[in-house]
Amino acid sequence: MLEATNLTKHYNGVTALDSLTLTVEPGEVFCLLGANGAGKTTTINLFLNFIAPTSGTAAINGIDVVQQPLETKKYVAYIPETVMLYRNLTGLENLEYFAALAGRPDYTRDQLLGFFQEVGLAGDAADRRVGTYSKGMRQKVGIAIAIAKGARSLLLDEPTSGLDPKASNEFSDLLKRMSDSGVAVLMATHDLFRAKESGTRVGIMKHGTLVAVHGTDEFGHADLERLYLQYMHD
Amino acid sequence: MVLRIARKELVEMMRDGRFRVLSAIVLAVSLVSLLAGWKHYTDLSRQHETAAASTREQWVNQPEKNPHSAAHYGVYAFKPKSQLAIVDTGIDPYMGVAVWLEAHRQNEFKYRPAQDRTAVQRFGEMTAGEVLQVLLPLFVVLMTFSAFSGEREQGTLRQLLSLGVRRRDLMMGKALGIAAALGLVLVPSVIMGVVAMALTLEGGLLAGDPMRAVLLVAVYAAYFAVMIALALGVSAWAASSRLALVILLSFWFTNSLIASRAVSDLASALHPTPSAIEFQQAMQADLDDRAPVQRRLDERRAALLREYNVDTIDALPIAFSGISLQEGEEYANLVFDRHYGRLFDLYDRQNRVHQLAGVVAPMLAVRSLSMGLAGTDFLQHRDFIRAAEDYRRDIQRILNGDIVRNQKPGQVYLAGRALWEEVPPFDYEAPATSWVLAAYTTSLLVLGLWMAAAVAWMLRAGATARVD
Repeated sequence: MLEATNLTKHYNGVTALDSLTLTVEPGEVFCLLGANGAGKTTTINLFLNFIAPTSGTAAINGIDVVQQPLETKKYVAYIPETVMLYRNLTGLENLEYFAALAGRPDYTRDQLLGFFQEVGLAGDAADRRVGTYSKGMRQKVGIAIAIAKGARSLLLDEPTSGLDPKASNEFSDLLKRMSDSGVAVLMATHDLFRAKESGTRVGIMKHGTLVAVHGTDEFGHADLERLYLQYMHD
Repeated sequence: MVLRIARKELVEMMRDGRFRVLSAIVLAVSLVSLLAGWKHYTDLSRQHETAAASTREQWVNQPEKNPHSAAHYGVYAFKPKSQLAIVDTGIDPYMGVAVWLEAHRQNEFKYRPAQDRTAVQRFGEMTAGEVLQVLLPLFVVLMTFSAFSGEREQGTLRQLLSLGVRRRDLMMGKALGIAAALGLVLVPSVIMGVVAMALTLEGGLLAGDPMRAVLLVAVYAAYFAVMIALALGVSAWAASSRLALVILLSFWFTNSLIASRAVSDLASALHPTPSAIEFQQAMQADLDDRAPVQRRLDERRAALLREYNVDTIDALPIAFSGISLQEGEEYANLVFDRHYGRLFDLYDRQNRVHQLAGVVAPMLAVRSLSMGLAGTDFLQHRDFIRAAEDYRRDIQRILNGDIVRNQKPGQVYLAGRALWEEVPPFDYEAPATSWVLAAYTTSLLVLGLWMAAAVAWMLRAGATARVD
């Protein structure tokens, strides 16, 4: 579960995030929409405690991220726009390393290969160095790391931008599977179509403020786009 | 966790082509330098062995002659070399390793290979010590400068920290991984060094001074730890890999190339030593002043005439010419002690400046310790000079004493093998390891300080480093 309470961040007098209050329950996929600079990445950075809030709190599993930064990270996985991997290591070695550093050094090779299959990566990719990996493959490794970690919350920062439609679709399926298993997902995205498809709720952000929150079942895709542009207009 | 991180760093580096090329270069240079050091050492020690044996042979096989002629004939004393001189030749090539011991004079050292380099030595101009002190820190810099900043620039740092990795563990793991990679590069050289030492030692490896070798390894290990921690700290602290590289190369350049020159200049400005000519002229002036000797001889003559109740020295039962020779020696010894003592004290003070300057450049502390442990530093050179000079004075005392007892007025006195054998062979034992450590406490402290400061800086830089 992810909770923000009056979460605020100022950078040198500029308000990047203004009193965000938000709860993402297990099984929910909350999509943050908004232009660049609306405060989406700032929100994710605050949850990861990579930056300190000016005021307000962010909590994961009910634990404050500032007070217990290491403890809260046990329950969360983060997937950036492009999952970065060590190019001199194979895909499996990358997964093993990230899993070990996430506190799971005990996986066998078969278990790790199982995670690879689970996210739809071909078996021969596992032992190849990741230099040749496409972005779609990298994002899948990111999901595999999250699964291996056993994260109960997921923070995603525009994870599908630049993916071809097929890869994007596969990624959404994986996301759906995770949320079905009770993972709370917070995803920043520009992709209205994806947000409508895989999100349970969407929040529209503008100049650091969450201006609207709607359930994705409230309207069709065209309605969402109209609504979004309406907020972006002025 | 730390070990897991270290292992990944090591694996990554070993698969990196740049690392492999760099390692190959370092490996080749260190092996060549060791080989040159070993060749130099074996050549020199073989020469010494035969020369030391033959100088003794020649001494005891002198024909019958007056003891004072034998005193002028003289003997050579050779400074024994520790096997560790293969690693660090120190000041030996500049100060010389052999001295001629004769009547009346404390001679300068001879055989300074720096004046007379062979082709092999020119090839191995970089000694193993220089490879360790100068080349390897550069290797560390090139391996480490992007170790942290690179992860930040690539974005893997965000991912690592999102996993809940302790920054402390990350820094320690990376440091350990780099240390392991460095160790791998050095293993062949260390093995070769040990084999070279074993080959040069008659009684096997343990016949040497294993304690010194262990300490030497520890000193260099500490030095590399300092370099790795500093470089990793800079990599975390600097805004970019490029900036980290610039900072670290500047530090490397200052530490290994500029500092030693600057400190030499500073030391000689603070404690200037006279030029060789000035020194010789001043000492010669004192030696030429015979008045004190004359006064002393007059006193002794009067006292002896009184003691034996005779009128002339020819009537004495002992030879006054022997006493006169010995008094001349005693006076000259005072002059030598005064002049050389003053000169060597200046060198000592300069040495202390070098040790203290280690605070600014850790390489200086390491260099002092390295030479000290290899037995090729000035302090141990001075100890050998003292021992050789004591031996020279013993020879003169024995020979002049013989003249005093046996020379009869108006006769030609010749001594033989019995007297020559009365002079013991020169037997010099190098100072103990504890002596060396006591002499270099400052450098040890300075190195320890650097180590503590570098690790603290590394951890602090890691703790406060930006995520992106």
